[in-house]
Amino acid sequence: MRDDRHDGTGWHADIDDLRAYARGELRAPRLWSVDTHLVTCATCRGTLAEVSDPPALDAGWERLDAELDAPRPGFVEGLLLRIGVADHTARLLLATPVLRASWLGAVLLVLAMTVASVYTSDSPVLFLALAPLLPLAGVALSYGPALDPTHELAIVAPLHGFRLLMTRTIAVLVASLGLNGLATLALPGYGLRALAWLVPALALTATGLALTARLGPVLAPALVSGGWVALLMVTEATTHGMLAAFTGPGQGVAAAVAVLAACVLHRMRDRFDASPVPSPFTHFARRSTS
Amino acid sequence: MTSAPTVSAAGLTLRYGRTAALDDVTLGLGEGVTGLLGPNGAGKTSLLRVLATAVPADRGAFTVLGHDPATAAGRREARRRLGYLPQNPGFHPEFTAFAFVDYVAILKELTDRGARHREVRRVLEAVDLTDVRGKRIKRLSGGMRQRVALAAALVGDPGVLLLDEPTVGLDPEQRMRFRELIADAGASRTVLLSTHQTEDVAMLCHRVIVMARGRVRFAGTPAELTAKAAGRVWIGTERDPGARAGWRTGLGTFRNVGDPPKGADLLEPTLEDGYLLVLDGEPAEVASV
Repeated sequence: MRDDRHDGTGWHADIDDLRAYARGELRAPRLWSVDTHLVTCATCRGTLAEVSDPPALDAGWERLDAELDAPRPGFVEGLLLRIGVADHTARLLLATPVLRASWLGAVLLVLAMTVASVYTSDSPVLFLALAPLLPLAGVALSYGPALDPTHELAIVAPLHGFRLLMTRTIAVLVASLGLNGLATLALPGYGLRALAWLVPALALTATGLALTARLGPVLAPALVSGGWVALLMVTEATTHGMLAAFTGPGQGVAAAVAVLAACVLHRMRDRFDASPVPSPFTHFARRSTS
Repeated sequence: MTSAPTVSAAGLTLRYGRTAALDDVTLGLGEGVTGLLGPNGAGKTSLLRVLATAVPADRGAFTVLGHDPATAAGRREARRRLGYLPQNPGFHPEFTAFAFVDYVAILKELTDRGARHREVRRVLEAVDLTDVRGKRIKRLSGGMRQRVALAAALVGDPGVLLLDEPTVGLDPEQRMRFRELIADAGASRTVLLSTHQTEDVAMLCHRVIVMARGRVRFAGTPAELTAKAAGRVWIGTERDPGARAGWRTGLGTFRNVGDPPKGADLLEPTLEDGYLLVLDGEPAEVASV
């Protein structure tokens, strides 16, 4: 909004913007600015009345009423809107179940404890082993009926289930990888080696999602997590403490697994739209209804 | 109802292990409110979930306003025309009523902010929740939450509305209010109303389907269901051992339903009498709805 009118009571909306607003022709984001400004500025509401014809004015008031009812964007949503994320996408992201303070707090606590263990044991292994599992857990919990109370409504909505899954996955990955990255900064003594969790994290998340298409949102991530822990234990036992996943070749294999799993996931995308993915747990849930 | 069916299903079968939740269900729905009656475990929720495209049937097919959900494109088109109120609608409790319906509107592809907000206001007004639109859902009563869920189902003005026991847990006043809303919703669209309560059907529905053990046992008008008990309800001084159901009334006499003895004092049947008899071992009788 160009605040180029001033009458001693503060800055006001541009008169051309108000005329366009009255005609219903003002476009976002300027529309939102004028909407917000009109809520608090009686002078501009008066100006709007002068430049409007009655039917257009009624439509404007209706639009303003709707704006007053609309949920106020919080800090994160406001940030997303400012960097150009569409308002409907931002609201979908904000409804992601695991992007709550409780989940992010739990992740922070786990990371803090693991970083502390690195200092006491003088080895980054526990941190490197655990950090890739946190994004996987977050993504797994953001899909399916376990944590999403509106899962049933989301399944039957025309918005493609895979698109919703990817929207939430990206949101959870950004949050989880960001927290992991912060934890990595607390381990400056290990240099780039402390970042060796990143590629395995992407590989585990992509594999977990690809298997979810067949095994369901509970069994698939559980199997992937168990497989990861088993792999680390086996390689530690057979290579005398040298964890293969965090070596150069190990990182290469993890990258290949991530790409392969992403391709499989894309091929199976319609499975996230057709129905709840079967698993022993969803089977139980289905049995409990008439 | 003589108009062409808006929802047609043939041979729908859904099994959970050895249990058949749906067993060869064939039906057609037209405009207006159709009641879906049946005891617990009859398959009502399974039928609504299949028709809502929440879960695919193991066998059989159905169309919604001509669109076949078996294909990706048909499923999307069908979903655009469906409104669904699940048995236990989930909410983000921190959301306000407006924010929740707005979220569902986004799931229903209303991406234009202004148009979406106008639609949210329209449906909240339709369920008489305009005054509490800014309240958090966790602070609303059970009846208001059900109305929020109904508002969410009405977003986009769907041609077919599937309601799974929406009046359960509501007090009589709330139930009556909800019945008014359902009647309004059924004035111009197809509504399938799953319910335990025969009064819901008697008051609201122009057609009724009775299910038991995954099968359709009756489909017809409420009057036809009531007529199933014609000449089979009688009053006596004690419960007739030959009656299929019998109970002591508030007047101290016994109302018996079944095959009356000769000379019995017959009563006018109710829809509930017909429902009891249809459930009680009557041969399946399926008429076009």
